[in-house]
Amino acid sequence: MKEKKLIEFRNIVKSFDGQIVLKGVNLDIYENEFVTLLGPSGCGKTTLLRILGGFIDADEGKIIFKGEEVNHIPPYRRELNTVFQKYALFPHLNVYENIAFGLKINKLSKDVIDQKVMKMLKLIGLEGFEGKNITLLSGGQQQRVAIARALVNEPKVLLLDEPLAALDLKLRKEMQYELKRIQQEVGITFIFVTHDQEEALTMSDKIVVMKNGEIQQVGTPQEIYNEPANRYVANFIGESNIIPGVMLKDYKVWFDDIAFECVDFGFKEKEPVDVVIRPEDIDIVSRENGKMTGEVLSVLFKGVHYEVMVETIPGTQVTVNMQVVKSHDVISADGKEKISATNFYVDLEDVKKLDDKEVVARSNAQAWNPETDDYISISKIEFDVKEEEGQYPVLFSTSGGTSIERTIFVVNQPFVSNEKANEAVMAFNFQTTVEEIKESLALDTDIKTWANAQAWKLSDESQSVDISAYYDFEPQSVTEGTYRITFSTTGRVFKIHTTDYIKEGQEVGLTFFPEDIHVMSKMVF
Amino acid sequence: MVIIMKKFSQMAIPYIVWSVLMLVLPMALIAFYSITQQGNSIISFSITLEHYIKFFTDADFLIILWRSLWIAFKTTIICLLIGYPVAYYISHCKERMQNILVFCITMPMWINMLVRTYAWIGLLSKDGLMQKLLSLLGLGNAELLYTEGAVLLGMVYNFLPFMILQINTTLCKMDDSLLEASADLGADPVQTFYRVTLPLSIPGVINGITLVFLPAVSSFFIPKLLGGGKYFLIGNVIENQFITVGEWNFGSAISMIIAVIMMVLMMCVHKAEVRNNGGKGET
Repeated sequence: MKEKKLIEFRNIVKSFDGQIVLKGVNLDIYENEFVTLLGPSGCGKTTLLRILGGFIDADEGKIIFKGEEVNHIPPYRRELNTVFQKYALFPHLNVYENIAFGLKINKLSKDVIDQKVMKMLKLIGLEGFEGKNITLLSGGQQQRVAIARALVNEPKVLLLDEPLAALDLKLRKEMQYELKRIQQEVGITFIFVTHDQEEALTMSDKIVVMKNGEIQQVGTPQEIYNEPANRYVANFIGESNIIPGVMLKDYKVWFDDIAFECVDFGFKEKEPVDVVIRPEDIDIVSRENGKMTGEVLSVLFKGVHYEVMVETIPGTQVTVNMQVVKSHDVISADGKEKISATNFYVDLEDVKKLDDKEVVARSNAQAWNPETDDYISISKIEFDVKEEEGQYPVLFSTSGGTSIERTIFVVNQPFVSNEKANEAVMAFNFQTTVEEIKESLALDTDIKTWANAQAWKLSDESQSVDISAYYDFEPQSVTEGTYRITFSTTGRVFKIHTTDYIKEGQEVGLTFFPEDIHVMSKMVF
Repeated sequence: MVIIMKKFSQMAIPYIVWSVLMLVLPMALIAFYSITQQGNSIISFSITLEHYIKFFTDADFLIILWRSLWIAFKTTIICLLIGYPVAYYISHCKERMQNILVFCITMPMWINMLVRTYAWIGLLSKDGLMQKLLSLLGLGNAELLYTEGAVLLGMVYNFLPFMILQINTTLCKMDDSLLEASADLGADPVQTFYRVTLPLSIPGVINGITLVFLPAVSSFFIPKLLGGGKYFLIGNVIENQFITVGEWNFGSAISMIIAVIMMVLMMCVHKAEVRNNGGKGET
């Protein structure tokens, strides 16, 4: 079906209260197409639809309908009809009167109106409902009436603004088929707005993916799914593994330290790219037959398939000692004040960053009244640390004269770097008390803070990497002593959809065909 | 749950006592007075319908009753004709402007109605501001105060805010997407008004009519002050019976008659509203 251009958006710009919602949108829509505007809320898709409907004016740009500019034509003269998000059915009219509204405005004769309304009721499967009160219909029925009310006017284009959003899952699926059937039966252009990618894939001839007022990609559902234009589209449509890589030359892409054959070309040599591999395109094979190998981290049953997570590159790890000591708080002579703090380690490089606040935080220093549990401020912090390895005393005191002395260990802490995974991890030995561990509300986070654990990208030190803490003591029954704590990053994990069950912990190989690798340009933000 | 409900229902007791003492009891007393003879005590009384007969057989009373209903009707119509466009205009302003306008309309209500009506005496009196304005315009020295026109003006002035506020509330609550849907279906702004806005604002209009018509029928100080005793309404008759003549029983009977007429009228209006809505729930 080679179609005629019906609607053209030319460089549409729109802002509300200084916030730009549409940044120069260009889009052509053809006759008899089912077009979906897809994007998260706030991406401008509804605004674009409302500009076409004539309910709001564009700040800049042209809307061309059948070759004529329609910017200044009011909504009631435009040859299109809308199905509104919350249906907007007239509560003072019944089903028949709602559907006949547009026909009565156009002053059609009574019997013509009758005929058309009845035909519509048949199309939407609500025969016999004509006298029914609108407010007594179910959501799905109201939805159908709203569609009928718009379609009965025989518009060239039907605009649908998230019409299925208010329906439950089952009804939504039914209405998806229903809408597609109606569109094919009446043979007009449908412009459908949704944030539901599955809805878009099911119904559309053409999908327009939008983000922040810009079009990211226009294409058929197959094109959008199989050849996403960028990381954003790949993430938004379906599930995917997205890996940073480098295009070595045409048909050759490098990622995770391996060069792969692919079918993509036309990139610059050595251009940094994003690589997408869909979870269902990866096959799990034996270790020796895999293009990559890894360990099965988890297996989740999803109904039709299993979702398997395979770690191909282990995370970067560093292990430190945690010394758990008895709390040796200092109590003032009159018993009104109590003060506590712990020794701590600091990296040579960070010595110059040590100020009062940092010292208090790192030593976990605090003072309180043991009778009332009220906090007392630590008014004086005395320390003298040189930029050399060694031990330095630090003295915390309250204005009441209670004080406690602790030690700062200045060390030259090496970090663990992992070239293959492009990341580095660092953490320090630390000291804490049994109470601190038992009273902690979020122990993992506290341990990370106490150990000053951090991980970052080797290529960009300002980009931090998530780490997790692993330990094998029971927080509630911890006693004095030294414990090993390991901090680790996630490494590279592939998500795979397969119908075969795999055991967790198993070493497996992963394989895929060159055409399953989709190379995309890096997104420019 | 049950205990909590019990506690809540106990909290209602003061209100029940209050409404019995202040609403039900006085109403019952008026009904009781209207069917007993003058001079009866609570212990010994005789039931009679003579007060009702007296009212319905005296042409003067019936004329006054008719006149009261008629002027209340005219007041209501004028309030509606002025009130609807004003309310419509307010509901189409920006929210900030809406608040300012509603504030301006409610502001006079902070001053006692009696005081405001007295002010009109000054404005309408001989050599008052209105007369001077009229003569400046070359409309002569027409008598303004103590005419039916003055009473009508006083009533419209006093009751108009009720009409505006009621209609404005329904118009503001209306879903804008209904207006968009109407435009989408080809209705120009005028068609949209007659086919969507107006029918959906009927509940507000009915409330406005009720709030204007009821006090207008029984008002007594507006005709007294601005009609100057020449223009007698049913409210004045009742007041006279109680205060000047001292015939409490006859006064009570007239009150009952007015109350019944009101109830019947309101029932008719309500029926009309239900029919207009085709039996659909109000939104």
